[in-house]
Amino acid sequence: MKLVGIAGSIAEQSYNRMLLKFIAAHFSDQVDVEILDINDIPMFNQDNDISQGDALQYIARKIEGADGVILATPEHNHTVPAALKSLIEWLSYSIHPLDGKPVWIVGASYYTQGSSRAQLHLRQILESPGVGAISLPGNEVLLGNVKEAFDADGNLKDEGTINFIHSTLNKFLKFVKLINHVDQEDDDAWKNEDLEANHPVDTSVTNVDKNAKDWVEQAAVKTNAVDGKAYVKLDRGLLTVDQLNWFLKTMPIELTYVDDNNQFIYYNKTMEGKKMLASRTPDQVGDKMTDVHPPRAIPNVKRVIHQLRTGQKDLVAMPVPGNNATKHVMHYYKAMHDEDGSYRGVNEWVLDLWPIVSSYLKMTGKMLVDDPNNQVDANAGASQAGAAASADTDASAGASESAEETETVDVDANSGASES
Amino acid sequence: MKKFIAIVGSNSKNSTNRNLLKYMQKHFKSEADIQLAEIKDLPIFKKSPEKTVPEYAIELANDIEAADGVIIGTPEYDHSIPAALSSALAWLSYGQHPFVDKPVMITGASYGSLGSSRAQSQLRQILDSPEIKARIMPSSEFLLGHSLEAFDDDGNLKDDDTIKQLEGLFEDFLKFVAISEQLGGATAANMEEARNFNWEDNK
Ligand SMILES: Cc1cc2nc3c(=O)[nH]c(=O)nc-3n(C[C@H](O)[C@H](O)[C@@H](O)COP(=O)(O)O)c2cc1C
Ligand SMILES: Cc1cc2nc3c(=O)[nH]c(=O)nc-3n(C[C@H](O)[C@H](O)[C@H](O)COP(=O)(O)O)c2cc1C
Repeated sequence: MKLVGIAGSIAEQSYNRMLLKFIAAHFSDQVDVEILDINDIPMFNQDNDISQGDALQYIARKIEGADGVILATPEHNHTVPAALKSLIEWLSYSIHPLDGKPVWIVGASYYTQGSSRAQLHLRQILESPGVGAISLPGNEVLLGNVKEAFDADGNLKDEGTINFIHSTLNKFLKFVKLINHVDQEDDDAWKNEDLEANHPVDTSVTNVDKNAKDWVEQAAVKTNAVDGKAYVKLDRGLLTVDQLNWFLKTMPIELTYVDDNNQFIYYNKTMEGKKMLASRTPDQVGDKMTDVHPPRAIPNVKRVIHQLRTGQKDLVAMPVPGNNATKHVMHYYKAMHDEDGSYRGVNEWVLDLWPIVSSYLKMTGKMLVDDPNNQVDANAGASQAGAAASADTDASAGASESAEETETVDVDANSGASES
Repeated sequence: MKKFIAIVGSNSKNSTNRNLLKYMQKHFKSEADIQLAEIKDLPIFKKSPEKTVPEYAIELANDIEAADGVIIGTPEYDHSIPAALSSALAWLSYGQHPFVDKPVMITGASYGSLGSSRAQSQLRQILDSPEIKARIMPSSEFLLGHSLEAFDDDGNLKDDDTIKQLEGLFEDFLKFVAISEQLGGATAANMEEARNFNWEDNK
């Protein structure tokens, strides 16, 4: 998550800037905050429009590229300082980079209640149509008595204050996700999901033919990959590569790793493809998504991966059609993220839930009976939303997971490969 | 005759707020001496350890201090007063306090239909802050909506009802100034308080 921070003070020494710097440093494992300087922006004047000049274009670009904005405002005569207001006027006149941006308002003041009135004014200003920013109601940080608040290194002294700022930040980050999601909802961004894996990421092994049957061996040479008795340090533990394999191969689920470039780079090979719930074969590893799905499945694969990549969903669950009283196979697609919260691919697992259900029934002496209010087509997999989903069984396709999508869908990440 | 300073709250060359104040200057010339004051050449307010204030802001403060009252004509930018006006008010409260107990009438002109109502209500709060402490004429608002179409070629307001409303308010303002003078007793103390109240030196 990337935020831009702007201090509303142009004084040489500013507590509001200190507060922003503290937030940027202290929560850097959670968000990336870039602090912008507004000291050189001249007073807004409609007769001399410099919106296209370097200084404002730079700020506008930074704001547009960020997921949200933090405004740290002092209070001058019960309102926001002129310098901050002037900047906002520039950003509401012939360019509108704040339009639709989530904004978090914070403020440091010499007084206990300080900056509360300025924050209120700022909220009204941000709401005006020319600005169009979106601030989360009530989620404010008023740092009073600021002259005593920081230690010599610019860190806030009071643990309670830090915790409060942290909880407010967390609320804002949730809000940012929500707003940016709503903005995207009705567009067709999912269509741009590149299943051809043409956007290598920092972990991608380039210059190896993705379709090579021995992709794993070739890529291992390229990367000097360790194997066998070499140790790997993990969070949390230390295993040899052998141990890691023994461990993963005995998982009671079929695991598949698709990286953030939509390349299939791993599965826990426990048995022959034909015997798996969702077939995978050793030569498929390294393939791009388009090579392990039939063409008709592509739009749905794109949609699911896009939802995971953009954070609209964290987990997508799909039942496989053709389930019956001895099998209930589910496919789960879970977004993976790195320490910075950036999307790093899909963890797909496939399992048969039936043994779990059946052992529960055995242990408790219960039995399954038909629900008279049942809305589900018994022959199709029960979808998440309880809607009927018809699907052709021979395609081993996942069924729809929402009530609106009752058409036949085919989303299984890899099993389609067997028929192509 | 009463002497008023009329602050043009806009830094634009073709300000309809300036036009309105000019119209008032002309229209009420037999009742008051209205002198227009510009803020467009003031730099953005900036604090400094030496508390330096631009020469022009000191002159303006002196003019205000010498006047019987102040009229502020404010546009509305983003639902609040323009940065240029807010900056001027900061300079006029930084180590100098010309507004303390000074009667103030607020007018506003905007292109839209609301005539700067939100900016005016924020301006009232600003003028009420401890280092400004102006005496704002209560329950009176002059909002000139669609200000681009409001004047004829000679700079006169076109609409008779609008003129009547403005005349009524100005009459009230003259009375308000007169009453205010009789309340003068507390002024010295208020002045002292504003001087002693210093945002910067707290703690
Ligand atoms: C002209 C002026 C007016 C001020 N008015 C207020 C005010 O209304 N409320 C307040 O809490 N502080 C007020 N202050 C104090 C400021 O909040 C303080 O100087 C602020 O700028 C500290 O933030 P900073 O260190 O980031 O600049 C005022 C300061 C100045 C110079
Ligand atoms: C940056 C900017 C923001 C504005 N925001 C508003 C507004 O929130 N409400 C409004 O009625 N007019 C708004 N306007 C239009 C103003 O009504 C108009 O520019 C101004 O009030 C006219 O005053 P003047 O003729 O004295 O300059 C805005 C204009 C600018 C340049």
